[in-house]
Amino acid sequence: MTQPDPTLALNNLAAVTEESRKLAASITPGSGKWDVIVVGSGAAGGMAAFQLAMAGVKVLLLEAGRMIDVRTEYRTMEWPYASMRRHRLPPGERPIAVAEYNFLDRPYGSNPALEKYKKVASYSANTFTRHWLPDERDNPTTGTPYALVRARILGGRTNFWGRGALRYGPLQFQAASRDGFDVDWPISYDDVKPYYDKVDTLLGCSGTNEGLVQVPDGVFQRPSKLNCVEVAFKRSIQKLGRTLIPGRAGVTTEGVLNNKYRNPCRGRGRCGRGCNLQAAFHSPTALLYPARDSGNLTIRPYSLATEVLLASGTNKARAVRVIDVNTREVMEFSARAVVLGAGTLESTRILLNSKAPSHPTGLGNSSGLLGCYLSEHIMGIRGSGYIPARIGTETTLDDGRPVGPYIPRFRNVTDRHPDFIRGYHFQGGGGCAEFPGMAGEIPGYGKAFKSNVRKHYPAIISFGGFGEVLPRKENRITIDPRVRDAWGIPVICFDYRFGDNELKMAKDMGDSIEEMLRAAGAEDIKIGRDPLPEGWSIHEIGTARMGDDPKTSVSDRYCRLHDVPNVYLADGAPFVSGGTQNTTWTILAMAWRTMDRLKEDLRSGTV
Amino acid sequence: MSKVSRRAALKALGASAALLPALSPDGLLAFARIQAGRTVPAPRLLSGSDFRTLEVLVEAIIPADERSPGAKEARVADYIDLLLSEGEQQTALQWMGGLAALDQRAESRFGASFARLDAPRIDQIMAEISRNELEPTTPLEQFFVMTKQATIRGYYSSEIGIHRELRYKGNTYLEEFVGCATEDGKDCPHCRQQK
Repeated sequence: MTQPDPTLALNNLAAVTEESRKLAASITPGSGKWDVIVVGSGAAGGMAAFQLAMAGVKVLLLEAGRMIDVRTEYRTMEWPYASMRRHRLPPGERPIAVAEYNFLDRPYGSNPALEKYKKVASYSANTFTRHWLPDERDNPTTGTPYALVRARILGGRTNFWGRGALRYGPLQFQAASRDGFDVDWPISYDDVKPYYDKVDTLLGCSGTNEGLVQVPDGVFQRPSKLNCVEVAFKRSIQKLGRTLIPGRAGVTTEGVLNNKYRNPCRGRGRCGRGCNLQAAFHSPTALLYPARDSGNLTIRPYSLATEVLLASGTNKARAVRVIDVNTREVMEFSARAVVLGAGTLESTRILLNSKAPSHPTGLGNSSGLLGCYLSEHIMGIRGSGYIPARIGTETTLDDGRPVGPYIPRFRNVTDRHPDFIRGYHFQGGGGCAEFPGMAGEIPGYGKAFKSNVRKHYPAIISFGGFGEVLPRKENRITIDPRVRDAWGIPVICFDYRFGDNELKMAKDMGDSIEEMLRAAGAEDIKIGRDPLPEGWSIHEIGTARMGDDPKTSVSDRYCRLHDVPNVYLADGAPFVSGGTQNTTWTILAMAWRTMDRLKEDLRSGTV
Repeated sequence: MSKVSRRAALKALGASAALLPALSPDGLLAFARIQAGRTVPAPRLLSGSDFRTLEVLVEAIIPADERSPGAKEARVADYIDLLLSEGEQQTALQWMGGLAALDQRAESRFGASFARLDAPRIDQIMAEISRNELEPTTPLEQFFVMTKQATIRGYYSSEIGIHRELRYKGNTYLEEFVGCATEDGKDCPHCRQQK
């Protein structure tokens, strides 16, 4: 007797796939006239399209994946026992494992060890995300190990992002002034603050105002409260001068105005699967659908943007070259301006692949710095233990919220650490989760084991660090001319490694979380000191950095290419440095700011 | 299980270190023969007697007690069987080898297969094979660790494990998340921390 598997059957995607094909076929270079082309539909492309369309600008948005069915694809509350397979990926599909990123030869997906699988996806693939992530064999990368996570779906990675919504502050924008390393951003927190405020208000952000310089306050909705173990931990680490605050989440807990697609959070947790109440920020329901309702936005799915084309004899972009991923038809869509929001690395790849006689090494690369200064976060260093006051107590509802608590950066804020510059923060939490991850570490078997799991279940607490990777010129991507993706486009080649500062920082992360767990009197403390592979944070920034001098930067203070001023960057590519903070909220704020500039440039006729 | 596959399976178990070396060609062939010999495409990979041994083993790892049923009623053996039927051949072979080795130990010690032993004797074997849990060296010690980890995954993701054993309260619609009562300026009845 073969059991049907409802967790697989739920995803009957025939209808949305068919809709996407029809939509793509209906949009051709002759079928409309657009002012601006936006590439990508995640946080960057979504915000860009929204800002422009709402201002009356005619926008064509190009997404390499299909449309999404937001009613059925976010399986937020599905229990693991919905099938005997327990949410495992189906046979024949598999994500790349942690260790494999470091020891498999590149490209990962075409490694002989993985040949027998029907689909090999990046590490983020699971039963909930598997239809959104591409096959690594179709989308290879080469060079040094890098755990690159991409999505090919309307909304991109916002469909499953971690919901951590943190602002960069003065410590990030003016980092170089404080420690002398590299350069400051050409703009300050005061330039971006109004946009963060507007993003909070438009999209909904839950959190608490704390008055911390490391991570500025916002316009917050009802916060994710702390649970019992977290309060105990917070009180203990106060003795060390450390702060623990409720996590800040890109989730509306109290509702947002003027969006009929979204509902307030109802404390179910599981936000990373996609939220079928649309309380969590997803680009489709929060930005793209309202933008489309304005009548000014056209979305073309299955459209892989490969190059930005110049008008001959000028330094102006005239069109974007697109391959339809199904028909393989090559098209050129023209507009007055181009906004790249395909994600830091894919946007940079498009520019590097856009070669013209006047731009032999890629569009906007007269400085030679396009692709350099790749940065993200070093992570994987973590600590856990059991808070004695909760050992043996009854189960409580501890996880009905978007994100766990947050320990803001405490190194190099007021003091100066002898071993490294910049800093790191911790994210984590504790208490009763749906799955008792600690059970695997409790020794023994039988009734004693079972009862020990039950006793320790409410008491677990665990935190992991996120440290700034210094922006260094030698950490870069280039184009690998020998390797092409499934559509014949040359792929990204990484030359990127954690450096000495990151490794010293990582050591301190392990020491400091151990110190905090000891201060909390935690039992059975376990410290993981190995960093995860490069790229794991999915917080990549910096490969088309902004600045006022075209010789030392790729884009200007409004994220326009110095060399081709009608090309705008809406994602993390222009960011100079990234601090410890998760990237999404800054992408949204910066994209809004950049679109204000583009609207002005359209009005004044500059583009 | 036929003699050939049993030998191949035991051999596979012997090789079950953390990083799996490639299985010998005859081991794989033996496994393929077992597969091909099954006329009905069954969801279950294990033979009836192996399945019963597995049921007894997972129940010994997470037994029924006064609070909730154990791994047998939570159908952890079915979960592992499905996992094996969908997974790598080497892994399945190691599992079959482990079950065979467990029976061999039971036979040599007490003259009966593992599933037929009484509780004290099962416990005696469990104590032996779990002794070096943190650094398992013998094949049976490694088999215990493998089975225990799979049992944990299968049991605590089952309806029984989540609701009756852990009494998990989440994944429900809330007016708002409450958290520790001290966060609302009250003494907390759950952790006894004071405001």
